[in-house]
Amino acid sequence: MTKEAYLIIAIVILVALLVTFIVSFVLYRKTPVPKGCENIEINEENCSHCSHKECSHFIKRDEE
Amino acid sequence: MNILISFLLAILSSMLIDNVVLSRFYGICPFLGVSRKVKSSLGMGVAVVFVIVLATVICWPLYNFVLVPAGIPFMDTVAYILVIASLVQLVGLFIKKYSPSLYKSLGIYLPLITTNCAVLGVAQGNTDQGLNFLSSLANGIGTSVGFLLIIVVFSCIRVRLESSNVPKAFKGLPIALIVAAIMAIAFMGLQGLFSGIQL
Repeated sequence: MTKEAYLIIAIVILVALLVTFIVSFVLYRKTPVPKGCENIEINEENCSHCSHKECSHFIKRDEE
Repeated sequence: MNILISFLLAILSSMLIDNVVLSRFYGICPFLGVSRKVKSSLGMGVAVVFVIVLATVICWPLYNFVLVPAGIPFMDTVAYILVIASLVQLVGLFIKKYSPSLYKSLGIYLPLITTNCAVLGVAQGNTDQGLNFLSSLANGIGTSVGFLLIIVVFSCIRVRLESSNVPKAFKGLPIALIVAAIMAIAFMGLQGLFSGIQL
């Protein structure tokens, strides 16, 4: 196979990975939160060192 | 038979001697964040084992059979992040759907598997060191099981610490970090146990 063919295959695989991520992300968001897990308590002491930007606690703390 | 023994020794080596948490400080965020309860640390550890082993199995061929022949090995980090992020979403989806108790105990730390640099570190390290597939797999299994071992042992110690008389200034994270440091020193004692392993 030529280098161009390999390049096309690589691009197709990378796009497929991106599509897989988007689909799994949408499915994760659409899956309902299990009962009793709606308001998971935040542990201030343990959360203080973490900076995960998707975490609601981080966003709230950032706004303050 | 020799390959099998070397494979097992390589796993033990990555698990005990080159433990990523204690020797390279990878994955500190979930290590400190999810280690207050043994059950949640076990759940996090098993999820990390699953993600690291699968990421290793996918990333090694992706790099060697796709990115290198295509002349774009510099895209490895992007490709690995996509693989890991997809795997974590799928694991998260599975836990959310089928294991509400684990979902509750992991809580806000579930997405932390994505930001666990041990996962990316193993995949990147395997290709940077030019390991073959078997060595990469051994490194992946050993690293992830090492993470599981350390986080469970650490959570057991933290449970005991909750009921012990710790000086006020050391309560919480300070004493946890001191415990982690003592564990790192203890694991340093295993250096030189296995040397010159070639698969």
